Amino acid sequence: MKILTTVKKVVDVELNIHVENGAIVEDGLQYVINAWDENAVEATVQLKENNGAQTTLVSIGGPDNTDIIRRCYAMGIEDAIHIDDPALEKADSYVYANVLQKVYEQGEYDLIITGKQAQDTDNGQTGIILAECLKIPCVSNVVAMEVMDDQHIKVSRLGDAGTEIIELELPALVTVTDSINEPRLPAMRGIMMAKKKKINVMDLAGLGTSFEEVGGADLKSEIAEYMTSETRQAGQKFEGDAKEITAQVVNLLATEAKVL
Amino acid sequence: MAKILVIADIKQGVLKGSTAELLSKAKAIGAETAVVAIGSNIESLTSDLAAAGSDTQYIADDVSLELFSAGPFASCVVDAANQFEADMIWFGFSETGKAVAPRVAAQLSCACATEITDVTLNDEQIEVIRPATANKVIQRIKVNTKQVVAVVRAGAFEADPDIIGTQNLVKLSAPAPDLKAVIKELISDASGEIDLADADIVISVGRGAKDQAGIDLVKELADDLAAGFGSSRAMVDGGLMAHNKQVGQTGKIVAPTLYMAIGISGAIQHLAGMNGSKTILAVNKDPEAPIFNVADYGIVGDLFEVVPILREEIKKLRNLG
Repeated sequence: MKILTTVKKVVDVELNIHVENGAIVEDGLQYVINAWDENAVEATVQLKENNGAQTTLVSIGGPDNTDIIRRCYAMGIEDAIHIDDPALEKADSYVYANVLQKVYEQGEYDLIITGKQAQDTDNGQTGIILAECLKIPCVSNVVAMEVMDDQHIKVSRLGDAGTEIIELELPALVTVTDSINEPRLPAMRGIMMAKKKKINVMDLAGLGTSFEEVGGADLKSEIAEYMTSETRQAGQKFEGDAKEITAQVVNLLATEAKVL
Repeated sequence: MAKILVIADIKQGVLKGSTAELLSKAKAIGAETAVVAIGSNIESLTSDLAAAGSDTQYIADDVSLELFSAGPFASCVVDAANQFEADMIWFGFSETGKAVAPRVAAQLSCACATEITDVTLNDEQIEVIRPATANKVIQRIKVNTKQVVAVVRAGAFEADPDIIGTQNLVKLSAPAPDLKAVIKELISDASGEIDLADADIVISVGRGAKDQAGIDLVKELADDLAAGFGSSRAMVDGGLMAHNKQVGQTGKIVAPTLYMAIGISGAIQHLAGMNGSKTILAVNKDPEAPIFNVADYGIVGDLFEVVPILREEIKKLRNLG
């Protein structure tokens, strides 16, 4: 089985993010591997270990994506394609999907695994749109996955009515959530080996396409501006005798907040 | 006049509140409304759908649609959108919406926006507002296509009981099943449970509850209040709570009247799932827990001590009322 796994580098959401004049202030930001993509990488490596698979990672982004790609190598991914093209800085989900389609078509993959969404945009669209472009079956929000035979996998999806058990014919695409696994910490040996591994870096021309062909000049939507999120203010905090303060808070919930 | 198609949110044969919320908003901004309902044995909901604010009801009612399958579901939405000539297609916040909206957008070749909190329409220019990056920023997005598919964030719009529609049923034919993604089994959520998305009060339990005994204690409080019962990610990862209980950036997003975070420290991913709640109460042993930064009321204390007192005090209050 040949697996293609997508990985994005995103802003670290644990740190404060400031907005000025409609844009995010770059100063002080740090970038990390998208958490759900790390789950996708772990799921990929587990399939390789348990069932045997050829594993390829694809990441779209600037030159500093190298560190997250090496981290994925250290986790057990074998090959990596890094699409580095400054023209893609303002890409929307469709542009990403179109670029990934080109990558997929050059590799004859059986399975694409993506994280369910990227932490920076929280869009959750690229994987599903990619599957639509490729006209292959797709299941999102996957919490478990197993190989049935050369042509089929069985996945569990968390849906609105419960957990759905779905059989998918390959080639297929799944988007995984963080409940699917606990990503491993790479071992020192893996980290050392990863430093020496080659990364296949290319721009859009190298991929055999162009900014126009992937829809970059014709975005379906664009971010007009960023605004500061309204943050909640800390309210009243009570410490002391449990009985006394709890009674006080229940009273406030009833009389002040009027929610009880 | 703009045309807005709302996807009916139906669970176990019942129309959920988000459908009326979306239809009310659509009418409030002056749009012509339609709804598309997809499922099995649902035609009887037609009058409810009209009462919720739709002027046309596209209904795909077929046994093959009993279990959710994203492909056929998307085909029904596209069919209704084309017949209605919809400018906007709105899903309520749900896993169904998140799975189907991008498919529909790709098939219509138009923009897609998830978790929107507001929408404006000026001279055919559509703009949407949505939080991003775990709610740390707000994006204003300019839609460049004539149509847009959107998933509306929980609690963004309010239902107006005075806004109603008219009955005009259009039956849709059932699409072919997706033979390449076959649903073999549905392990249903326990029946009779209160839906987190709909509950007026949601009570979530975190690592502070330690084990099953702690969870049971908090669950009793939830039962007293007929509240939805949720969880932090830590409890799900620890196997103590089911996946579908997780409130947060990647789980359920809730906006109840009252949210109680019991023994939850308040990781940013959890806050992203509940900070739209009207009032937040937090109970935590650690006075420095980040949950207190967003809580309207905070009780610093051991939940094993506080929760039984909470139950008792609330009972007293209710008996008085």
